[in-house]
Amino acid sequence: MTKKLSRRDFLKLTGVSAAAAAVLTGCGPASRYVTRRPYQDMPEYNQTGASTYFATTCMECPAGCGLILRTQEGRAIKAEGNPNHPLNRGKICPRGLTAVQGLYNPDRVQFPTRQGRGENSPQKLDWDTATALVAQSLKEAPTQAAFLLGAAPHHLADLADEMAAALGAPAPVVYSAYGWLNGMATLREATSQAFDTTRMPYFDLSAADVVVSFGSDFLEGGLSPLAYSRMFGEMRRNTRVRRAKLVVIEPRMSVTGGAADLWLPAAPGSEWLVALALGGRVAELHGKAAPGPFNTVSIGQASAASGLAEEKLEELAVLLAQAQTPVVIPGGSVLAGASGVASAQAALLLNDLLGAAGSQFWLSPVEQPAYSMKAVQELIARMNAGQVQTLFIHGVNPLFDLPAAFGFAEALQKVGTVISFASFPDETALASDLILPDHTPLESFGYQRVLAGSAGEVLSGAQPVVVPLHDTRASLDVLLAAARLFGGSVAAALPYTDEFDFIQQKLLPYQDARQGSITAPEILTFQSIFQQKGGWWNVAAPEIPEARISANLAGAVERAAAPEGKFYLHLIQTQMGDGRGANRPWLQETPDPMTTVMWNSWVEIHPETAHDLGIKDDDVVLIQSETGQVEASVYLYPAIRKDTVAIPFGQGHTALGRYAQGRGCNPAELLSAGLNPAGDLAYADTLVTIRPTGKTRQLARLESRVGVYGGGH
Amino acid sequence: MAEEYPQKWGMVIDLDVCTGCNACVTACSMENNVSFIGEDENAYGRGMQWMRVQRYWEGEYPDVAPTRQPMLCQQCGHAPCEPVCPVFASLHSEEEHINVQVYNRCIGTRYCANNCPYIARVFNWFDYDLPSPLNFYLNPDVTVRRRSVMEKCTFCVQRIKHGEAAARAEGREVADGEIVPACAQACPTEAIIFGDLTDPESRVSKLTRSQRGFYQYEELGTAPAVVYLKGGGEYGG
Repeated sequence: MTKKLSRRDFLKLTGVSAAAAAVLTGCGPASRYVTRRPYQDMPEYNQTGASTYFATTCMECPAGCGLILRTQEGRAIKAEGNPNHPLNRGKICPRGLTAVQGLYNPDRVQFPTRQGRGENSPQKLDWDTATALVAQSLKEAPTQAAFLLGAAPHHLADLADEMAAALGAPAPVVYSAYGWLNGMATLREATSQAFDTTRMPYFDLSAADVVVSFGSDFLEGGLSPLAYSRMFGEMRRNTRVRRAKLVVIEPRMSVTGGAADLWLPAAPGSEWLVALALGGRVAELHGKAAPGPFNTVSIGQASAASGLAEEKLEELAVLLAQAQTPVVIPGGSVLAGASGVASAQAALLLNDLLGAAGSQFWLSPVEQPAYSMKAVQELIARMNAGQVQTLFIHGVNPLFDLPAAFGFAEALQKVGTVISFASFPDETALASDLILPDHTPLESFGYQRVLAGSAGEVLSGAQPVVVPLHDTRASLDVLLAAARLFGGSVAAALPYTDEFDFIQQKLLPYQDARQGSITAPEILTFQSIFQQKGGWWNVAAPEIPEARISANLAGAVERAAAPEGKFYLHLIQTQMGDGRGANRPWLQETPDPMTTVMWNSWVEIHPETAHDLGIKDDDVVLIQSETGQVEASVYLYPAIRKDTVAIPFGQGHTALGRYAQGRGCNPAELLSAGLNPAGDLAYADTLVTIRPTGKTRQLARLESRVGVYGGGH
Repeated sequence: MAEEYPQKWGMVIDLDVCTGCNACVTACSMENNVSFIGEDENAYGRGMQWMRVQRYWEGEYPDVAPTRQPMLCQQCGHAPCEPVCPVFASLHSEEEHINVQVYNRCIGTRYCANNCPYIARVFNWFDYDLPSPLNFYLNPDVTVRRRSVMEKCTFCVQRIKHGEAAARAEGREVADGEIVPACAQACPTEAIIFGDLTDPESRVSKLTRSQRGFYQYEELGTAPAVVYLKGGGEYGG
């Protein structure tokens, strides 16, 4: 249908005038079939010397922010935020800004390749051969196909669901380092225990006067950094109330902690006691009886367990008791320990006790995804048992972002055919049989359902802003083509012509509902506006959570103090995200907000601890855990607990091109395979030792070394 | 033409809202074709960022906190960089009231950088490699600088020019907030506000009158066009 429609007819049909198209161009279906052309024969929307802007969705992390890409003469020049997108409202973070360095990265996989699992003789394939190889592998054992996918993009995950069901294979396994670093499975479990729902909690900071974060680095890491940064700005500028206060409880000062008015380095694992004691004390100050678990812990007990001064906790309790519009946000490493569920639950219930439910604390209409590292471990067990013939990997790099202790590398040896859809030669792609490179996000159609940071429902739309640069192909199209070659019931179950058609089918229910930001009489108009505006959203009033205050805090344990000579390991979320940012030179060169370090990894140690160990700034130390060891230069960090050391996540690649490879260390080497009861990696419980190596390697940092802790040269 | 729109462009940076996330730094670099130079050159202190977020530690653990200040060319009214340039590469623009750097006049004496109290100027010590096809994203509105040329923040003068041209074509004045430099456009918390200081009703003008406002190194008499708003403390309500 769409193939026969010329672009001009399409524009007439959908009533998009030339003037509107110059502002924001919706890529019509016809442009799906546009090929690259020389400069003298540019697409008709191109006007030499003038820019064309396309709305799309950022896929650098799974948050799903809206982008506007400035293009000129068919090249993507600059990524900007989409001002109409309900999540980021025109704002953009360093990851989104460097998306064009992914698109134009000199180290991209440029054509389908028979990789031969790391052998040094990659062989160029054509797409027909590559697709036939996929179909052939599927035919050998259709029920033994497995999909391992990242948290974005969702349209591919939707197709993989359908394809796995059609093949009779187990459901796709989805995980992401963003998920386990932020304790997403733990948050889901806690919400379900405390509020009997798996809907996504939504914290509205914009009108809050006191915000307490239990471990959530919502400004830099977190599930939607831009949405929460935007709300933080609104909160601080809100002059209707007294200047809002931000309180952050975490073992190592994050960017959010740096912006806080009160920073409390509670002993990790004691956060649930702090939350309970605060709730009890606030109820007391209000002259009410503390409900449920909140009457079990006194401020004194919480102080003893957390190592925080009683006065500080009392100060916080009074602040919360006087607050008109307080809100409490759990997240980050606080959720990633044995008592993570208890801490998240206590923090969520504290919202209810403070009266935030229905004013600052809502349930969005979106279901929390059931990501769990248990599912990943089960897949690895299936691989080890020889039950996986074809493994499709998209959007994740398990050889980099899974703990080495998971044994993914060994399990990979027992898989019949490993097929990577990676756009870049990452660790996992190089260990695959076939690399069938997907377009990069800026060359792709797609959609992403927004999870966090929006009160309503948001389906963020992606469209190509430039024609594909290399001989790559949409992974969804490759899977569809393989399904057609497979034939039979599988081909019949996936009756889509191509990726564009698939997305159109998935948009039909939204068009039918006639709700939200787009109303259109038929699907072509709907899809055109969907792309032109960068998505569809419906800001219906979110639901008020109803607490089950009697919930017991199962699994709550006090964590033992670190044994003599050992330290708890804290992982820092940086602009490298889950590691995929490491090949963007401007992400490498943008100084880390807290340490100002560029282009490398570091290990943060409290200056007094370092002094005791005889370690100085820039000394290279060996960090050892039960499962592995890494080396990194020391950064003396004054805002970290003395029993904790911290390493940023995302560096330490052994592949991924010239900008990432051989730079820094990968702390995933240090993590054990231990999970918390909710199925998240219990990485916050990792114990490490620190040993000087006698070497010194200076970190490139923006800040001057002179005068920093008596240093200088 | 010069007198047609006698604007004085200015900026307010609200330190109470700034989280120090560095999005402005990346945004500036991607907009203005700023070279990335790699780890070793950065370690020598030759970073090319036109903008940086200065982070200072204050206090002792556990009452420790960073104070932050995004630092960029202050577009001084009495700019110390201008009188020292022997070839008039660093000079004042009467039209926009900003300090401009004329790249093809610059001979690399670096006197201007030496005289800038804000350390806002960066020097191209080398030609930096931008392997193809990374050059595809270069902004066609901004000159790509070569070795031995001094460069600095321009308040995204290319955007000012585009905005003025667009307004002129439509026969109207530039609206407040219509022209934003890349840093202000990106800033996730809207800590950076940009606009015309000659219009007393513009958002930026109103903010400069805030009681929290201060100029960096005001005592030097450089008359900066950037006003910082002090963070922390109590206000409002």
